[in-house]
Amino acid sequence: MPLAFLIPVFSFVACPLIILFQRWLPGRGAPLAILAIGGGFVVWALATIGFLGASPDNPACDVSAITGALTCHFSTDWFTAGVPGNEITDVIHLDWGILIDPLTIVLLGLITFVALGVQLYSLEYMKGDPRFGWYYAWQALFVAAMLTLALADNFLLLYIAWELVGLCSYLLIGFWFEQPGPREAAKKAFVVTRIGDVGLLVGILLLWLNVGSFSMTDAFAAVAAGELSNGVITAVAILLLLGAMGKSAQFPFHVWLPDAMEGPTPVSALIHAATMVIAGVYLVARAYPIFAASPEALLIIAIIGIITALGAATIALVSTDLKRILAYSTVSHLGLMMLSLGAGGWIAAVFHLMAHGFAKALLFLGAGSVMHGVGAHGDVDIRRVGGLRRAMPLTATAFSIGALSLGGIPILSGFWSKDEILLSVSHHLPAIFIVLAFLTAFLSALYMARAMFVVFFGSEGEDSHHAHESPILMTGVLAVLAVLAVGFGWIAFNWPGAFGGFGSFVFYDHAEGFHFNPLIAGLSVLLAVAAFALAWLVYVRRGWSHESLRARFAPVLRVVENRYYVDETYQWVIDRVVLTVSAALAFFDRAVVNDVGINGPGDVVRRVGVALRLHVTGHVYSYALVVALGVIALAIFWWLRSA
Amino acid sequence: METGLTTNLHLLTPEFALTALAFLVFTVDLFLPERSKEWLAGLSVVSLVAVMVVALVMRPAGSVELYGGLIVVDDFGLFFKIFFLGIGVGIIALSWEYARDRLQHRGEFYGLLLFSILGMNLLAMSRELLTAYISLELLSFSLYVMVAYGLREARSNEAGIKYIIIGALSSAIMLYGLSNIYAALGTTYFVGISEELASPAAASPVLWIGVALLVVGLGFKLSAVPFHMWAPDAYEGAPLPVTAYLAIGSKAAAFALTLRLFAEAIIPAVNLWGEWQLVIAVLAAITMLLGNLVALAQRNLKRLMAYSSIGHVGYALAGVAVLGSDFALAAKGVIFYLVVYAVTNLVVFAGITAYYNREGKDDIADLAGLADRQPFTAAAIAIGLFSLAGLPIFAGFTAKFYLFAAVADGGMLWLAGVAIFTSLVSLYYYLQVMRQMYIESPAHDTHNAAAHQAHDEHDDIHQHAVHDEPPAPPMPRPSWLLAGTMGVGLLVVTWLGVYPRPLLGLIEMASKAIVPLG
Repeated sequence: MPLAFLIPVFSFVACPLIILFQRWLPGRGAPLAILAIGGGFVVWALATIGFLGASPDNPACDVSAITGALTCHFSTDWFTAGVPGNEITDVIHLDWGILIDPLTIVLLGLITFVALGVQLYSLEYMKGDPRFGWYYAWQALFVAAMLTLALADNFLLLYIAWELVGLCSYLLIGFWFEQPGPREAAKKAFVVTRIGDVGLLVGILLLWLNVGSFSMTDAFAAVAAGELSNGVITAVAILLLLGAMGKSAQFPFHVWLPDAMEGPTPVSALIHAATMVIAGVYLVARAYPIFAASPEALLIIAIIGIITALGAATIALVSTDLKRILAYSTVSHLGLMMLSLGAGGWIAAVFHLMAHGFAKALLFLGAGSVMHGVGAHGDVDIRRVGGLRRAMPLTATAFSIGALSLGGIPILSGFWSKDEILLSVSHHLPAIFIVLAFLTAFLSALYMARAMFVVFFGSEGEDSHHAHESPILMTGVLAVLAVLAVGFGWIAFNWPGAFGGFGSFVFYDHAEGFHFNPLIAGLSVLLAVAAFALAWLVYVRRGWSHESLRARFAPVLRVVENRYYVDETYQWVIDRVVLTVSAALAFFDRAVVNDVGINGPGDVVRRVGVALRLHVTGHVYSYALVVALGVIALAIFWWLRSA
Repeated sequence: METGLTTNLHLLTPEFALTALAFLVFTVDLFLPERSKEWLAGLSVVSLVAVMVVALVMRPAGSVELYGGLIVVDDFGLFFKIFFLGIGVGIIALSWEYARDRLQHRGEFYGLLLFSILGMNLLAMSRELLTAYISLELLSFSLYVMVAYGLREARSNEAGIKYIIIGALSSAIMLYGLSNIYAALGTTYFVGISEELASPAAASPVLWIGVALLVVGLGFKLSAVPFHMWAPDAYEGAPLPVTAYLAIGSKAAAFALTLRLFAEAIIPAVNLWGEWQLVIAVLAAITMLLGNLVALAQRNLKRLMAYSSIGHVGYALAGVAVLGSDFALAAKGVIFYLVVYAVTNLVVFAGITAYYNREGKDDIADLAGLADRQPFTAAAIAIGLFSLAGLPIFAGFTAKFYLFAAVADGGMLWLAGVAIFTSLVSLYYYLQVMRQMYIESPAHDTHNAAAHQAHDEHDDIHQHAVHDEPPAPPMPRPSWLLAGTMGVGLLVVTWLGVYPRPLLGLIEMASKAIVPLG
């Protein structure tokens, strides 16, 4: 278990090796990246076994007084500087280390597993790309950063990893930077998440100012001991939340995620399922002791969560691009996780994070398989494909399983996790939340059903004539993920044997079994089935023309199809406000800061240098003269001082 | 203290071994045919590594004095020995290709290198002024020869002559200083000096002149302003690997002596410290200022590196100036700075040598377009320069951080301010080099006749000449040895920049051995 730090290290090492030696490595370095993440997966498995066998007797492990979970902590001195008590150079002490608790374990499992699948899948998907090696280098770095983020025992290390994740997402979304779409999308993702990142940084620094340490354990202990005022806790919580909202694409920062599908599809799968977007949810879950101490912050999380969930679900319903539907679906489900965290449903949120992760990886890789099959590069307009189940049976089956799972059809994973979320919402939040949450669940089933029926069932579209099934490597990965999308949810239960269910392993404050409320479950099943039935009616039976539906809801539709004009609002603000201010600042910067402030002293310094150069004449006797003068000056100085 | 001349003599095994190996290299050189002289480089590296191992294995507990206190074997000496031997390995890696293609009598070259390392090792161990002086001369004489090693190059000969004249002058000054100190205090042992200095009666003009002369002698070896003027000429004229060695090795050795001298002889006499500190601080300040400012106006790479190294000496001297306030902190800062400076410079010089071996040019403008022609070499030079300028995440940043923090902590905020200002200035001339490599496109007349002649016997050059067409003539890869040196160096530079803790632990152990008793 102390070697768990190796999990990200493998991939960190793989990245520069691939960059430097891709020309000589077999397969342009791709096998190296896969080996690295595979090694990470193996170490994770070993660490998990070690962790399950660990007890509080282990010197490195402890039952945390705050989270109630067994927590193992390994750290080493990183950087110490300064002198105690000195005003100018007071001690700065940094550690780096890893913190292993159940949350870390399950998250690492998700990341390594999905990343492994994605990288195997990419072997086929990215085949022949001129920058194949670079793709794997960035993949390795991306995964390494995300793994570090999940393992970090202090906020500083977490922040470094957080920024690396942002950087890698930029590089991978903009991987095909020759085209304008990916380029713009990469910039957008970077800038939008960066706004949240600033919040996170300020939050971390604020915490450091008040606690005096970056260590998570110290921070949580200080919060629990009541050392911080309520105002500070709420401020920190909201600032951390800002960071989480940026990365996890919560309203109003959700705009980057749907555009991010401009990157290669396996990258989207990785971003949506196992890295990047789950970072925000993870941050809130990890720093939950801070959030839990501030009811206001929790309420804000819940409100943002439900707005995001519902808004994104409606947009997903009217989008026509397959990847865009999936993207908005991710935004919506992230909203549900946030809602659950805000409602105190910590276990449900983490559980849904996992279940959604497997299902969404499956769906995105399925979409990639469709693109591969029909030869599309970029968009798959669902109006132009259809009936693909005949040409691509394996992909169709896998995608359908993912859709059903995410839609909340019983016994599949998504059903159990969504049910838990609904339950905690109904317990802890006002009635309006549960109503909206049910509406989201219904819409979620509806848009998944729509995507599934239109693409794979119904009549053939114009783009689907030459469709063919994808290579075995791609479908193989799909099959494995499909099994998880079906069966993962079952670990929620108390199976015979020592295992007490997901909630008895991963929990906050106290272990919980699986709750089952017949009313809630019944209602959600009803809604899900109704949604699938409705979609089948409209898109397969065509018993109900969707054209007439569109006509009836035209005004609403226009607003939703334009994604509530959020992008347009941003554009307007940027054009009118930001750019005006920037222009003024740029003028000041150029005229005052640069020309006078920088170039002025710069020129002076350079001229002094040029003039001083002349003192070295090249004549040895002048050198000796200067030495002699130096001697005399020194001797006179000491003589005068001692007199 | 009562030890006979031969007691514990076995502790000097590493030094005896090094001497024997140096002679062995000279002897084998006589019998080897010209084309297999490369083996001598291998032999030297193996022997350096072996000596390193022996020194580590024979580490005594605590410090042990030899020859009645002339020499001491302790952790401080051991740390610097390993450091110097490591530098030796790096310099040989740098020299191998260069010596093969451009130097005659290369067997003696490696032998001299071993002797100079022996001098440095003894320097780090000596506890008495005359012993230190002899060791310093052993180092200097080897260097005089090595600087003039480019027999047929006027520049190299001129550099050798200037170096030896100014060197002789400074040696004379230093010796005269020693005799004055002996006249005033009656001892040349560091411990004795500190005891004598502590009594107020010791203050006399003779002593002041003696100490001033001693400081001047050290200042010459360190090339501190105003005793620096030999450095640019010697650096420019010397063969490239020797330039690197001057910049790295002789500086580090002189600092090893300075640290021990100040810690054991001068600092314990705290009542006199105020003035000493001010003198060193002023020397440090003008060294930083002059070195970095004049570097701005340089056009030749080796000259640029000379002035840059003068600037870096200034930083380290600033650390020496505050040795009196918090010794552990300041010594840690200085030693760490020396190590980082050595590794980083090794990377930069490896890059420059890799370029010079192929093109035979060493002006900054000649590097134009290097990034397109040899991306790895260009990247290595660039990262090395970034580290020298003190940018994170590289070692230079961490080193400057510790050093300047120690200076500020010692109460010399103004000196830390000068250091930070001059670091800023240094970024400008380092960036000039990078601008050439990454932004400027190569000039068309890249290959002049001189470069061809110099390369005459080299296989690569024939391929090379074929491609002598605009726009960007491709350049043959650097040799694996140089590429490997750069690669390993870059790893170390990054590692020390991100996680300096383990090395700092060793340095703390080393500086504990010389902590002043006062």
